[in-house]
Amino acid sequence: MSFNQIVWKMVRAQYEKYIFYYVCNSLAVMLFFLFSTLFFNDDIVQVKETESIQYVLTVPGIALITFTVFFISHAHNIFIKRRKSEFGLFMTLGMTNREVSKLLILENGIIGILSLVTGIVAGSLFSRIFFYLLTSSIGINTIFYHLNIEMFLYTIIIYLIVFVVTVGRTFFLIFNQNIVLTLKSDRVSEEIKMKSPLLGSVGIVIIFISILGLYFTYNGTNGGNYLLIWTVTTLMGLYLSINQFTSFFIDLIKKNRTYYYQQMLPLSSLDYKFKQLTSILMLITVMMMVTILYSTIILFTYTETAKQAMKENPYDIAFFQTESKNNLSEEELFSIVNQTENPIQEHLELSIYSFFQKQPYSGSSNVYHIMSVQDFNKLTSNQIELGNKEFIYYINEELENNDSDHALKFTFPNVELKENYTQIKTIVEKNINNVSKEFILVNNFEMEQLKNKLDGFESTIHLINVANWKETFEVVEKLQESFATFNENTPPIIEGNAEGISEEYLFRIASKVEDYNRNKNTNGILFFVTSFLCVLFFVGSFVILYLNLFSNIDKEKAKVKKLYNIGVTTLELKRMISKELTPIFFVPTIIGTILALLFMTGMATDIGGIVQNPEVLVHFLVVSGIYHFIQIGFYLYARKKMFLNLIHKSFID
Amino acid sequence: MKKIKSYKNGSYFTYTSTIERGIALVILNACNIVKIYGEPDSESSTIALNGVSLSVNKGEFIAIMGPSGSGKSTLLNVLSGIDKPTSGEVTIAGEKLSKITGDKLALFRRKQLGFVFQDFNLLDSLTVKENIILPMVLERKAVPEMESRVEYLASLFGIESILDKYPYHISGGQQQRAAISRALVNAPSIILADEPTGNLDSKSSEVIMECFKKVVDELSTTVLLVTHDVFAASYCQKVVILKDGTIHSSITKKGNRKEFLDQIMNSQAVLGGSTDVF
Repeated sequence: MSFNQIVWKMVRAQYEKYIFYYVCNSLAVMLFFLFSTLFFNDDIVQVKETESIQYVLTVPGIALITFTVFFISHAHNIFIKRRKSEFGLFMTLGMTNREVSKLLILENGIIGILSLVTGIVAGSLFSRIFFYLLTSSIGINTIFYHLNIEMFLYTIIIYLIVFVVTVGRTFFLIFNQNIVLTLKSDRVSEEIKMKSPLLGSVGIVIIFISILGLYFTYNGTNGGNYLLIWTVTTLMGLYLSINQFTSFFIDLIKKNRTYYYQQMLPLSSLDYKFKQLTSILMLITVMMMVTILYSTIILFTYTETAKQAMKENPYDIAFFQTESKNNLSEEELFSIVNQTENPIQEHLELSIYSFFQKQPYSGSSNVYHIMSVQDFNKLTSNQIELGNKEFIYYINEELENNDSDHALKFTFPNVELKENYTQIKTIVEKNINNVSKEFILVNNFEMEQLKNKLDGFESTIHLINVANWKETFEVVEKLQESFATFNENTPPIIEGNAEGISEEYLFRIASKVEDYNRNKNTNGILFFVTSFLCVLFFVGSFVILYLNLFSNIDKEKAKVKKLYNIGVTTLELKRMISKELTPIFFVPTIIGTILALLFMTGMATDIGGIVQNPEVLVHFLVVSGIYHFIQIGFYLYARKKMFLNLIHKSFID
Repeated sequence: MKKIKSYKNGSYFTYTSTIERGIALVILNACNIVKIYGEPDSESSTIALNGVSLSVNKGEFIAIMGPSGSGKSTLLNVLSGIDKPTSGEVTIAGEKLSKITGDKLALFRRKQLGFVFQDFNLLDSLTVKENIILPMVLERKAVPEMESRVEYLASLFGIESILDKYPYHISGGQQQRAAISRALVNAPSIILADEPTGNLDSKSSEVIMECFKKVVDELSTTVLLVTHDVFAASYCQKVVILKDGTIHSSITKKGNRKEFLDQIMNSQAVLGGSTDVF
């Protein structure tokens, strides 16, 4: 029998091992490729350069590479643990290192290449479905599915690096270990030599330094680059602490004899599968962290879109009107806006006197709006009175802190040198839609005086509220059309030499619905990207848990049978299985949730901090609550399945 | 009358071997056991046991022998409650096994029976010591009691030095001694052993059989073992020979072990079994 025949025979005899290994590798490739199709998508790359999506993609990108590293080495460890004892046998029978290497390279090489092909094919297929489902459900038509060379290249390179390193490690171990140990490798427990709580603490310190670093640097100019560094260091710290603390805790428990003996079976089993346990804990923690973090970001931006539009636009529809611009009759206006199913509820008209001022040096012009303080009082609960020759500088903007009395110095344009006007104060508050950012408030008498003194035009600001602003999209569109046709036939109000002022901009309609749609579109891409990632990571974490639980089922069955033979009751077996499953399911979920919260606190600095945005916290609680709930459900399902597989199917009675 | 120092329930007891008092206390009684695999009366059914009756007294050391397929392992499985007989009744320590079901049966086996298997059946994830105390842990015994019991058994069988090692680090003979310690840890009424020397070399087999002898002589625990190995069987007081699912004959030890060994070999020859193998 030739060498190749032996290899082929072995593959056929133990096809399950190979299939498991192959499926895991394909899965890792597929997930990575799915991410690549998103990361290197031209439409997203374009947005990436201008918007903050690049930063958003940093954390999951690193998480996914970490995932690939751990998942592939995890799968490889399980595979090789079983294979190694066979290699030991071959070596005892006199197979040379060269022949063993040949065998190792051959089978790993074939599996590696097959996995790459399968992963990429399945990845492009799933990615297409993903894109279709997400774009159609969110309603984005700016992102299109396509493939490019970068997607393939990065997937292949990263996979190959991880794979070669993992396989190389096995080579080193097999040829440097004595044959007897290799022979028994299927049975030995996976202890780590170094069990240092100090090192574990260093890991935790690293995590906290990273979070603090994120907190203080994210808001800066290079926040996104720092995010990359802090994510990497956090994950490193996480691995260090998981690796060291898991064994430290098991050792600590062993010291308490009574408790240790009571929990001996599950604990020793966890200790026995130590390496598997740490990589699983690490993987699930990272997955959970990313999923919870990004789901919260999604939910927040989604709900924020509407709120932002509300904040920016106190009234549903607003526009300037002059004699020659936007001048529809009251009947015409009402016939468009006042719909029977969505009637006008409020209609305010503010008289404005606007004038231009040419900047002496730059040559560009500014437009200023004078409003009577009586009109302004209609908008707020404050009743302000002004004397003659007095004015208020009013900035139509929401201020972050609630200090509304700003001593912003403002000089009255054009009249300053001729007349002596006194600025009483500056008011900063959002009362009008974004038709203009600043106004000058004077009393009625001065308003009339200024109309004569300044060369400007009279206008009216219309502020309209309807029953449901979300239904006003068509109304606004129709209004825009009517204004456009009206304005076409009238002479321009701005002289040709008034640079920097666009008539179109001045007489635009500022509406809630338009702002909402605009925000939705920019946020939509973010929404798309994050939804994509959440689904990817959520599915990924479940698959890992599932593979981990059921890859060793035969060995577990044998163990359960042994226990049953010496008189362990099924109730005790069930308890033991539950105790083994619980930490695997919930420790990473809890650590992941905590890390997500910490990261969120750090990243919330760019919206003014977590304390100022309690709704972020509420969203976080909702999202993590849902995840924990799903996790409990999955735990119960997996446990039931384990009971069925291990207990009921193992025994005849 | 020989006084035996024994360890039970955390302290040393001195009690008298029942055999020497001449009182035959029945520990295990099997009455007319029939075991048929497959549907009875159908063509594909196999009769593994056909009306086996057996009685084991306290302190007895009995071997069940017979050629392959004679029903030895089936009998042991039925006696231990792992398998249910098609008809017939097994009584252990006064309890009818057919009356105990499910987890109660597991509890009964844990308390009343000790098992020794051909492949040792030790858990790889536990150290030797942890393997031995496992049945006591399940019984929620106090830590000092568990530890002194392990120490006692380990010194009895000479495995003190390997208590903190894992099963894959020690020899087969050592693993089997650990398994015997585990079987004894809850002071069972009877030890059932299925080919305990089947995976061992002759030297280790000898050590193991000496251990069983100690179990019977020093702890006055009853031992019932199934074996192919005539050499192993010669350590027992009685050999029951099974053939085609029924008891063919039984030999009781008279004289020394060498004579008993010859006796067993002769009866094997009559059965047509090969005696040269052993």
